Amino acid sequence: MVAPTPDLAAAVRVRLFAALRERAGWGERLVPLGASPSSAADLWHRLALDDSPAADAGGLPPSIRVAINQAFAAPDTPLRPGDEVAFLPPISGG
Amino acid sequence: MPIPSPGHPIDVHLLEASFQPLELLAAWQRSLATDGHDSPGATGSAAESHFIGRVRPTTASGEPLEALELEHYPGMTETRLQAIAEACAVRHGAGAVLVAHRVGRVLPGEAIVLVAVQADRRGPAQRCVQELLEGLKHHAPFWKREWSGGSGTWVAGNTPL
Repeated sequence: MVAPTPDLAAAVRVRLFAALRERAGWGERLVPLGASPSSAADLWHRLALDDSPAADAGGLPPSIRVAINQAFAAPDTPLRPGDEVAFLPPISGG
Repeated sequence: MPIPSPGHPIDVHLLEASFQPLELLAAWQRSLATDGHDSPGATGSAAESHFIGRVRPTTASGEPLEALELEHYPGMTETRLQAIAEACAVRHGAGAVLVAHRVGRVLPGEAIVLVAVQADRRGPAQRCVQELLEGLKHHAPFWKREWSGGSGTWVAGNTPL
């Protein structure tokens, strides 16, 4: 866990799936929001989820999609306490 | 421009065990026949189009496949399937829609997806099935892992149309 006793009211739930989850070694955790507004892209970098050496400090890799509260969202959408943020690797259904 | 019928009956099923697509299809048809819905699908549409997808016996790199593992995002996957099917039915003026998709471990030859669409003409039924399939392949959160030789590999994209 990022923090031993995260304040639920000021945290977001982060979820990872498939290859991303296995690379990171975790699938779900509560992450406290900082004092300044955070976006999914901020969290991506704060949690060091990118393993590419040329990770762009500003955004997400184009193959990664973001869902906030189970709906697709832009990576720069400001997060609110209690949000569920998911990072989705390339989808392969059907 | 066809006028969409309000309240398209959309059936979405995520299945954790293997299923028989023709049995599911027959059950769906029976349910529509008895529902009395005020839509083209209600009492037996003039057109109905189906797609059944099965797991192929080889991996993307041509190795023998032991199994395909389907991961999903519980909650969001169902919501997305429902939304994609609804939008597709409205766009094409189709009636009832059935989407069934496996999750978990699926063996070669087993059905992985079933899509069925009723409409009053073949065009909308067939176009809606195709668009819905492409939509769920790219915009519903599913992830495939191919198991071969005892090791698993996440699939990075979709097979060509």
